[in-house]
Amino acid sequence: MIVCVAIVGHQNNPLYIQSFTEGDDALKLHHVVHCSLDVVDERVNNPKKSGPMLNETYLGLLYPTENYKVYGYLTNTKVKFILVTTDLDVKDADVRNFFRKFHAAYVDAVSNPFHVPGKKITSKTFAERISTIVKAFGLSSAG
Amino acid sequence: MIGVGKIKQYSNVLDKPLNKGKQEVSLSAFAFLFSELVQYNQTQVDNIAELERRLEDAGYAVGARVLELLCHRERGNRRETRLLGILSFVHSTVWKILFGKVADSLEKGTEHEDEYMISEKELLVNRFISIPKDMGTFNCGAFVAGIVRGVLDGSGFPAVVTAHFVPMEGQQRPRTTILIKFAEEVLRREARLGG
Repeated sequence: MIVCVAIVGHQNNPLYIQSFTEGDDALKLHHVVHCSLDVVDERVNNPKKSGPMLNETYLGLLYPTENYKVYGYLTNTKVKFILVTTDLDVKDADVRNFFRKFHAAYVDAVSNPFHVPGKKITSKTFAERISTIVKAFGLSSAG
Repeated sequence: MIGVGKIKQYSNVLDKPLNKGKQEVSLSAFAFLFSELVQYNQTQVDNIAELERRLEDAGYAVGARVLELLCHRERGNRRETRLLGILSFVHSTVWKILFGKVADSLEKGTEHEDEYMISEKELLVNRFISIPKDMGTFNCGAFVAGIVRGVLDGSGFPAVVTAHFVPMEGQQRPRTTILIKFAEEVLRREARLGG
């Protein structure tokens, strides 16, 4: 079950945050996303001295908290996608697939000439596409 | 120039193919649109420098979006952190997507460490444009310079990009050169990474 997705810009400014459960406190999820940004920065700034790892877009599992797992994805423009999920047995390939679709939706939203880069994404179409992708992820990993 | 987000009638958004290239726009349509863009800006400004700046800003917006799009389309694309890497990315990939071919040449400037030049015999945007004498050194390639600046800025390489005419012997139309001058911090970072 995905509880939250977030897009954070290259100056760590939030571009889009959406939570998908009513029960949990939205603020707590924002906080989790915020902490995960530190992990992303740490991974980016401390190169592990292994060439291919440095420039990979998919960052993988960032860190597990008490009942969430947080995955990260970094684009070429230093825009980060953060995914918070409560699933315990989610497969890596599923998450990569999810981020690929997410990236496609993000590129379409940014290509909008009325979108100001750096401001929040306000397109309703984008929000709808994201909820569809999230629902599809929930179905595929439950099976 | 780029045809992303063409929503066909797919029942499920997940069935929509992640678009590949090869979507072509007619040259005349683009030429008309570009000439209208230049004319519109011409009525809004008083001098040449302002006109160039406006064209460049328009190009900057395009460049930022082209970068996002290309990074998504190229599977397994690595983030470019080296100077030569990003330059060859602009020179081949970006040019191929925008103009259908790679740029004619990429050179390193001789006078300064931080200058690089991408040259083109005939820029696509300049093909149907002739500059009146009283405009002096104005070059509509400022639009392309803006695109390059947008791509470089988005990738983390701040630079000043300008377009110039370079007259060539034996050709009646001068060659167009895009001059890229990187900021200080880029050179320092490059020295740190490379050294």
